[in-house]
Amino acid sequence: MTSAASSPAAIRPAGYALLRAGRAAFLVHRRAAAVAAVLTAVLAAACVAYLSLGERSVPPAEVLKVVLGQPSPHELVVGTLRLPRLCVGLLAGAAFGVAGALIQTVARNPLASPDIIGITQGASALTVGAMTFGVGSYAVLPYLSVAGGLLAAALVYVFAWRGGLHATRFVLIGIGFAVALRSVTQLFLTKGDYLVAQKAQVWMVGSLNGRGWAEAVPLAWALVVLVPFVLWAARAQRTVSMDDDTATALGVRLGRTRLGLATLGVLLAALATGAAGPVDFVALLAPQIARRLTRTAQIPLLCSALLGACVVVLGDLPARMLFAPTELPVGVLTAAIGAPYLIYLLVRGHSVRRRAAGGRA
Amino acid sequence: MTTTGDPTASRLTARELTLAYEDRTVVDGLDLDVPHGAVTVIVGPNACGKSTLLRALGRLLKPRRGAVLLDGTDLARIPTKKIAQSVGLLPQTPVAPEAITVADLVARGRQPHQHWWQQWSDADERAVTEAMARTDIADLADRAVDELSGGQRQRVWIAMALAQETDLLLLDEPTTYLDISHQVEVLDLVRQLNHERGRTVVAVLHDLNQAARYADHLVAMKAGRIIAQGPPAETVTADLVRDVFGLDSVVVPDPVTGSPLVVPGRPWQSPAGG
Repeated sequence: MTSAASSPAAIRPAGYALLRAGRAAFLVHRRAAAVAAVLTAVLAAACVAYLSLGERSVPPAEVLKVVLGQPSPHELVVGTLRLPRLCVGLLAGAAFGVAGALIQTVARNPLASPDIIGITQGASALTVGAMTFGVGSYAVLPYLSVAGGLLAAALVYVFAWRGGLHATRFVLIGIGFAVALRSVTQLFLTKGDYLVAQKAQVWMVGSLNGRGWAEAVPLAWALVVLVPFVLWAARAQRTVSMDDDTATALGVRLGRTRLGLATLGVLLAALATGAAGPVDFVALLAPQIARRLTRTAQIPLLCSALLGACVVVLGDLPARMLFAPTELPVGVLTAAIGAPYLIYLLVRGHSVRRRAAGGRA
Repeated sequence: MTTTGDPTASRLTARELTLAYEDRTVVDGLDLDVPHGAVTVIVGPNACGKSTLLRALGRLLKPRRGAVLLDGTDLARIPTKKIAQSVGLLPQTPVAPEAITVADLVARGRQPHQHWWQQWSDADERAVTEAMARTDIADLADRAVDELSGGQRQRVWIAMALAQETDLLLLDEPTTYLDISHQVEVLDLVRQLNHERGRTVVAVLHDLNQAARYADHLVAMKAGRIIAQGPPAETVTADLVRDVFGLDSVVVPDPVTGSPLVVPGRPWQSPAGG
């Protein structure tokens, strides 16, 4: 292949680096790659801090020893108590981040996320129902919550489907189901025993307290299986960000692509909810922050995953420490950061639309 | 100059095409042969079904009955990506992804020629560069599409459709939102593409006089049917204008091109003459 230098005025999408290997060629967004590298470093530092800080502080050098499997006197605190919990947080955070990115892309709406279109509520309803009626053991709850999330999403699909998955209808019907399922959950709570209700309440906010390898390992396997699909999604996402007519004219099988992206997003959200409970706002926040950092035309998946993991890990650290020995659920902290950001997005979105409308005239 | 392409050499045809939204039939049993290598312009009053017909020609709308054929094969039987290698379409109001740059958007026109493992080729680079040079937007390459003027933005969209490098190009009112000089610029570009590159173009236009100036083949529609078609010089008459648009007018030769120029009747005046 001849080099692009043959034509001096050759134009290629701005900000992308071209990686070539034989006939294969990949476009990599430079800024997104740089942001991903920085986020990886931040996440690594956050993980070390997470493992070393707490009621009993452990020097970072000792932390690394434990992680690398070398004998250490801190094996119990770091290896048995903190590491499995960190893994759940990392994996669930990353899954929430990607899930939010995919659902926001399909819905073409930065406010759409699994906790708004009913997936989280479906997981809560089934889990809390099982808790209050004493059906199934504690170990089954994560699986029930995955099932609940998928069930809710299936209902939303069925009702939103009319010859295709229309973005606005999908979001509105999702919001409807979210409200309905939330009241079902409330009903279960009032029916149930006081102690169970309190336990359910904690689960519903999303907490990493008491989570460990039992949640981390199945989640890790599920995510490994989904990685090839996420790679597909990263490319397919580009095409659905245009309007329907333009995308179809460019040869995109829009219906299938959108259904595939939405299904993948729902699966990831349900899996993460099953492992960590509905940690609020991570799926909403991570993709939007990622996009603002990378300035890409579509939501960057890798950076969303890294940011999701960062938000959960950095949220759980103070959640664990602030009122020690009492623990705050991490969902409370992510919600405390998330709610103001949501308001900011709403306010800003409004002014941007107004400017765009003004520009059109 | 107004050579109508030979209808027998048509790559894109509609056969007994019936188009409907929900239960409202918009186009009923329409036949059309898009003349190969010519500029075809579809005109007609509002809601006559001209945009609907264009959408069906570009497989954006599934026919209720009948079919659109590309090289004799029903569009419904051709993979959509394959169609996109032969037929480009620019919708009336396309929407760009937020914060996308001009070069990035134009490059998306290459989508039907790419694979996930081959995201950029020399052919892509050549097509994008050429499309941007032709539409005179090379200087805007790194700008965000959001911040461009209406005229610039329309040229960016046309560049994207050009970068797709299809033999057939369908344009739905490409001059809407443009002032008159940009309208002329866009239509001249369309004509140039047709003459220099032999592209077959089908455009829906609002302005009958522009249609008469730029079309090789004019199709006049009313209420979902084709009322008349042919070279503008033979098609556009005062009778047709009354028939299709319900407007009294005088048709005179265009002082510049000699093509038919429709001059509507005298404007309303107060009966008192004041």
